[in-house]
Amino acid sequence: MKKIIIVIAIMILSAVSVPNCIFAQDMAKDPVNIYFFWGEGCPHCEQEKIFLKQIAQKYPQIKVFDFEIWKNSQNRNLMIEFGKKLNATVSGVPFTVIGEKYVVGWMDEKNTGAQVEEAIKCALNNTCRDIGREITDIEQQKDVSNQENSKIPETLTVPILGEINTKNFSLPVLTIVLGALDGFNPCAMWTLLFLISLLLGMKNKKRMWILGSVFIVASASVYFIFMSAWLNLLLFIGFIVWVRVTIGLVALAGGGYNLREYFTNQESGCKVIGTEKRQKVFAKLKTIINQQNFYLALGGIIILAFAVNLVELICSAGLPAVFTQILTLSDLPKWQYYFYILLYILIFMLDDLFVFFAAMITLQMTGITTKYSQLSHLIGGILMLIIGLLLLLKPEWLMFN
Amino acid sequence: MKVLKFGAVWCAGCLIMKPRWQEIEKELPWLKTEYYDIDESVEVAKDYNIEAGTMPTFVFLDKEDNEFLRLHGEIDKEKLLKILEENKDK
Repeated sequence: MKKIIIVIAIMILSAVSVPNCIFAQDMAKDPVNIYFFWGEGCPHCEQEKIFLKQIAQKYPQIKVFDFEIWKNSQNRNLMIEFGKKLNATVSGVPFTVIGEKYVVGWMDEKNTGAQVEEAIKCALNNTCRDIGREITDIEQQKDVSNQENSKIPETLTVPILGEINTKNFSLPVLTIVLGALDGFNPCAMWTLLFLISLLLGMKNKKRMWILGSVFIVASASVYFIFMSAWLNLLLFIGFIVWVRVTIGLVALAGGGYNLREYFTNQESGCKVIGTEKRQKVFAKLKTIINQQNFYLALGGIIILAFAVNLVELICSAGLPAVFTQILTLSDLPKWQYYFYILLYILIFMLDDLFVFFAAMITLQMTGITTKYSQLSHLIGGILMLIIGLLLLLKPEWLMFN
Repeated sequence: MKVLKFGAVWCAGCLIMKPRWQEIEKELPWLKTEYYDIDESVEVAKDYNIEAGTMPTFVFLDKEDNEFLRLHGEIDKEKLLKILEENKDK
């Protein structure tokens, strides 16, 4: 956690200073171009940077183009494109391409530096192709072609809402759909229902409202902390192809599980934890609620909310993980990442909020039908399979910005 | 005929079924029902092999207390009424 905080801090501090992007740079036609992919905060990249500065003085014909990939998804995709073209396993940075040669990682000047210099010499002798130039030419052609052949309109006119931008609209819709699919699970609210049953028996209504609200807020906080940490981890290492592939496979497995639940658990029964564990949680809740000291009760309810929701979260980590991966694919400003996480959690918690407020206001327990949880298994399963396939085969379709 | 209703305070489906059964019991005064919270009546739940994962569960017993039907989950009121009327004399 401490490391993640440090990394986040570095990323925030450097956010303004490194807007490196291939299209912003003037690609030289005649000199030897060096394409240097690096990550903010990567010590090996810093060492190679110093080396490249020195070598640029030694060979005035070379021009270095650098691409920060941990924060810039466009640069990250470009690196993946280079990897494909070169048939190289791009597993990390620094990644340096000179002509048609590439070097992954950095050891020291004697080893990696010598490899880079050798590649420069090769390119200077005009015996090497400039892979980078080929890719950027293709990218530019693709851009023109996409602009000409785009079949999806950028704006749509919708009744009531008026004109909406399809790109801006897709991510909020996907957030709401995934949040609803993840959250609409009446079976998962067993702890909250038990807590409400205890709260309704209390004489002190103020205490009843506070303890219940704190439980809801603490539950939402667990999700927020987990998803934010996951987001930052993915922003940090998400460029590694295998991370995306793994999450794609998780989505496929989650989709398969949901479909299996739909076809095999037709009685729409709720899967809950074992009797012993359940009884333990209930006993703790009873102790907390009956605690005379209000602050001890408050602390206890927060701790219990964290513990219970963490277990629930681990059991249903598939969708939040897939959702945060989609967020990282979309190159958004920092605040928007957190906005979408909050939106997801709000939708996720809607059924809990409804049950809680209905019970607190009417002083009677209200249930939410489990009838549609089967349907959510079917829709969720299909959606997870589609997202899984897109993550594996067409990640660019999930890039909403 | 008697119906044993197994539920729990934390079971969302049980909360949905509670008012439905209340209406049915009003409409069919001859019907005998017994409610068991599986966390409180652990032994009864064990005797009837009730699993927390299939709640709510309704066990239909004949005059000799032999089980002749078992239903799980949320059941429509009309369906329940039909079953009860059909098996009234059991």
